[in-house]
Amino acid sequence: MRPVVRAGLYAALTLAALTFIYPFLWMASSTLKPPFEVGSLALIPHDLTFENYRIMWSRAPFGRALLNSVFVASTITASVLVLGSMTAYAMARLTFPGRRVLNAVTMGVLLVPGQLTLIPLYTLIVQLGWIDTYTALIVPYLFNATAILMLRQFFLQIPQSLIDSARMDGMGELRILFTIFWPLARPALAIVAIFTFMGSWNEVLWPLLVVRDQQLMTLPQLLTVFQLGGGAGTLGVSLAAAMVLVVPVVVAYMFLQRYFIESMAGAGVKG
Amino acid sequence: MMQRPRPERSSMRAEQRSAWSLTAPYAAFLLAFAAYPVFFALALVFMHWDLVTPPSFAGGDNVRLLVTDARFGRAVLNTFVFLAIHLPLQIVTALGLALALNRRLAFRAFWRATFFLPVVISGAVVAILWNALYATDVGLINNLLAKLGGSPIPWLTDPSIAMPAIAVMVTWKNVGFYVIIYLAGLQYIPQSCREAIELDGATAWQRFRHLTLPMLLPQTILVVTLSTINGFQLFIEPYVMTGGGPLRRTYSVVLYMYTNAFSYQKMGYAATIGVALALIIGAVVAAQRRVIGTAEAA
Amino acid sequence: MPSISFEKVNKKFGDVSVVEDFSLHVEDGELLVLVGGSGSGKSTILRMVAGLESVTSGTIRIDDRDITHLAPRDRDVAMVFQDYALYPHLTVRDNLSLGLRLRRMPTAEINRRVAWAADMLRIESLLERKPKQLSGGQRQRVAMGRAMVREPLVFLFDEPLSNLDASLRARMRIEIGGLQRRLNTTTVYVTHDQVEAMTLGDRIVVLANGRIQQIGHPIELYRNPINRFVAGFIGTPPMNFVEGNLHRENDRVFFVSEGLRVQLPAERLPGSVPSKAMTLGIRPEDVTLADGKPTSGGAGAARLSGRVLLVERLGGTSHIHFDVGPHRLMAAVSGEDPPAVGDTVGIEVPSERVHLFAADGNALARAE
Ligand SMILES: Nc1ncnc2c1ncn2[C@@H]1O[C@H](COP(=O)(O)OP(=O)(O)OP(=O)(O)O)[C@@H](O)[C@H]1O
Ligand SMILES: [Mg+2]
Repeated sequence: MRPVVRAGLYAALTLAALTFIYPFLWMASSTLKPPFEVGSLALIPHDLTFENYRIMWSRAPFGRALLNSVFVASTITASVLVLGSMTAYAMARLTFPGRRVLNAVTMGVLLVPGQLTLIPLYTLIVQLGWIDTYTALIVPYLFNATAILMLRQFFLQIPQSLIDSARMDGMGELRILFTIFWPLARPALAIVAIFTFMGSWNEVLWPLLVVRDQQLMTLPQLLTVFQLGGGAGTLGVSLAAAMVLVVPVVVAYMFLQRYFIESMAGAGVKG
Repeated sequence: MMQRPRPERSSMRAEQRSAWSLTAPYAAFLLAFAAYPVFFALALVFMHWDLVTPPSFAGGDNVRLLVTDARFGRAVLNTFVFLAIHLPLQIVTALGLALALNRRLAFRAFWRATFFLPVVISGAVVAILWNALYATDVGLINNLLAKLGGSPIPWLTDPSIAMPAIAVMVTWKNVGFYVIIYLAGLQYIPQSCREAIELDGATAWQRFRHLTLPMLLPQTILVVTLSTINGFQLFIEPYVMTGGGPLRRTYSVVLYMYTNAFSYQKMGYAATIGVALALIIGAVVAAQRRVIGTAEAA
Repeated sequence: MPSISFEKVNKKFGDVSVVEDFSLHVEDGELLVLVGGSGSGKSTILRMVAGLESVTSGTIRIDDRDITHLAPRDRDVAMVFQDYALYPHLTVRDNLSLGLRLRRMPTAEINRRVAWAADMLRIESLLERKPKQLSGGQRQRVAMGRAMVREPLVFLFDEPLSNLDASLRARMRIEIGGLQRRLNTTTVYVTHDQVEAMTLGDRIVVLANGRIQQIGHPIELYRNPINRFVAGFIGTPPMNFVEGNLHRENDRVFFVSEGLRVQLPAERLPGSVPSKAMTLGIRPEDVTLADGKPTSGGAGAARLSGRVLLVERLGGTSHIHFDVGPHRLMAAVSGEDPPAVGDTVGIEVPSERVHLFAADGNALARAE
C-alpha cells in the first residue's frame, strides 16, 4: 500500500471506530452530568454528579432487576449447557430408535420464525398460570436448538475409542459426558455459554409479555418500562439506568471479545 | 443342533435406554414449546379468544380482518420502507469495513472488536441511547450538526425521516456482525485467484467487481436473508423510541402483534398476524434469493 | 485361570453379517493373534469380547462364566486401542489410575500398581505429563500401562502398533511379546501385519470375510496353509501363484502351464484329483537361482528358465522379479551379487516345497 492510501485507511478506520465507541462514551459521561449539560459533546463533565444514579436507583428496583437478570440468564445458561450437552451427546454418540427424527426436528426448529410461536407460547404460559413467575422467563429457554446442534457437531469429532475406553474403565454415559467430553469440549461450551447468556441477558420482548410485576422484571424490561413510563424524567437518568445493563457486558466483552465475536457471530449464522 | 439367535440384551439395549433417558427431557420440551405452539398458532387463526372467556370459533373472521386491516398493511409497508434503506446500507457498510479490515493492519483485533461492540449490547439500550442521540434539542447528532453550521433535524418526529433514522440505527447496531461474515468469506478467496487477476492487469476496482464481489455472493445472500428476517422482527426500537409514530410511520408488524395480544387481548388475531408474518418472511426471502440468483447468472 | 471360548458366535450389523460361526478356544496364558484383511471382522470380534459390541448369537465365555451379555465394566478385560485412547486432559498418572479409582480401589493399592506398571514400562519420568507431551512410542506404553494396572483376566489389543514407524514398531513388538510372557495373561491381539502375527503369536487365527480360514501355530500356517487365501496372506514376500493344469504320465504327475512344467510329489496327492484349473504356489524363498551356488534341489527340483525384470536389493537379500513364459514370479535370494536386469537365469523350484490349490482355493498338496 502507498503511504497516502495507508494513512487514509487508518483515518477512515478511526472515524468508523469513533462512530461505534463515541456514543457509548458519551452515554457514560452524560450519566455523570447535570441535566443542562447533557447535550454537550464533551466527554468530561463540568459538574461531576451522581445524582442521575441516585434518582434512577430510588425510582425503580434496578438492583432487584439486576439480580433477576443474573439469576434468569445463569439458570438458562446452565440448563442449555447441562441438559443440552446430554441431549447432544445422545444424538451424536448413541444409537437409538428416534435419533434421526430428533435430529431432523431440531434442524426444523431453527427454521420456524419466533413470531409464529410467540402468541401461542404466551397463551400457554397464561394457561399454565405462569404469568409473573421466574418459570415463565426460564422454562421456554431451557433448551436451545442451535446449542444442541453445535455441541453435537463438536461431540461427533471426539474419537470413539475414548468412549470405548471409558466404558471399559466402568463409566456410565453421564460420567463419560461430564468427565471425558466436557473437558475436551471447553471451547464449544464457552461459545454456547456466551451466546446463551447474552441472548437471555438482552431479551426484552418475552419478559414484556409474561411479567408485569416490577419485582420480577429483568433489566432490559425494567429499563424499557422505566423509559416509557416517564419514570426517568431526564435523559441523564434514563441513560444511567441503561448503564446498569451495559457495564457488566462491556467489562466481560473487553476480556473475552474474541470469544464473544466467535460465539455471537456463529450462533447468529446458525440460528 | 440349531441355536436360535437370542434377542440382544445387554449393551445395545442399555445404550438405547440411556439414550432415551438422556433425550427424554428434550423430547418433552420440543412437544410442549416447539410442536404445540406451531400447531396451536394455526388453530388460533380460526379462534376468537380474550384469555378470559372460553375461546370461540371464528371461522374466517381473523383472516378477513387481516387482509382489510389498513394498520396491518401500514406495518408491512413500513417494514419494506425500512428494508429498502437498511439492506443496501447494511451491505455497503459491512462490506466496506470488512474490506478495510482484510488488509494487513495494526490493531486488527481492536478495530474488529470496536465494530462488534453494539452487537453485544441489548436492543433496549441501543434504542434508549439513540433516542438521546436523535433528540431534537439536546441530542448529540443535532449538536454536532449545529457545530458544523447545520440546522437541527427532527429525526424521530418527522414522519418521513423517522423510519430511515431507525434503519440507520439498526444498521449501526448490526454491522459488526455482518463484517465478521464478510471477513470469513474474504478468507476463502484463494491467493492464487488474486494473483491471477492481478497478472491480468486488473485495476483495484476491476478486481473488486470481477473477483471479490462474485466470490462473496454466498455471504451477501446470508447478509440479505438475516437482515431481512431481522427487519421483520423490528419491535423494541419503535416501541421505545416512537411508539410506532409519527403517523404510524414506524409501526412494525411485531409491535402490532404485541399490541393485539397484550393490550387488546385478541389472541386469535395476534396469532393470525404471526402466521402471516412467517409466510411473508418466507416469501420475501425466497424472492430475494431468486432475484440474487438470476442477477448472478446474468 | 482364564481361558476364552467362543461358541458359534455370529455378528450382524443390520442385515450384513460380519462375523459368522466363530468358534475358538483361547488357552489360559496364550497370546492368540487374529489376522485378516481390512474389514474381515477382527476388530468386531475383539469388541465383542470387550462388550463394546453386542453379540447377535452365540456365546462367549471367560473360563466358565458366560460373559456374552455383561456390560464392559463387569468383564474384567482390558483393551489397548489403535489410537491409544488416552484421555487428553488427564496426566499419565491419572490416565493409569482412573479405571482403578472408578472401581473404588484403595489408594495405596492404586499407587502400588501405577508404580509397578510405570517401572515395567519405564515411564516413571513421564507420570506427570499430559498425553500431548509424549512421543508415539511413549503413548503406546502408557496405553499398555493402563491395561496392565487393571490386572485383568484378559488383554485385548487392536492393532496397537499401527500408528508407529517401522523401527519403533519392531521394538515395541518385542516388548509386548516379552511383557505378555512375563505377565502370562491371556491375550487376543489383532493385527493386519502378518510379520507381527508370525513373531508374536502362540497361535494365529486367519480371518477372511468374518470366517475363520485356519487356526494354527505360525510355522504350521506357513508350511501348510489350508487354502490359497492363507497361503497368500502368511509369509513375506507373498507366495507366487501360477494358474495351470495337472498332467499325468504313468505314475508321475506334473503341473503344466505355458512355459512351465513342475513335477509334483505324487505320493502326497489324494487319489482322485481334478486336473483342470489348478493353482501352483511357490514361496519366493524356496526359489533358488541355478547359476549361483550348487543347487539344493537335486533330483526333486524343477528347472525353469526366466528373464530378470527387476531386482530389488535389500542388502543381505534381494528380490528378483522375472518372467517365466507369461508368468511373473519372484524369488528372494541371499547374497550380494544378484543377476542383472535382462539376464536369463536358471531357476530351481524344489518340488516337495510347492503348494497346490484346487479351483475352490483349497490346498491339495502341502509341503511337509
Ligand atoms: N458399527 C458398524 N455398523 C455397520 N457396519 C460395521 C460397523 N462396524 C463395523 N462394520 C463392518 O463390519 C465389517 C468388519 O469390521 P471390522 O472393524 O471388524 O474389520 P477389521 O477386520 O477390524 O478391519 P480393519 O483391519 O480395517 O480394522 C466391516 O465390513 C465394517 O464395515
Ligand atoms: Mg479394525
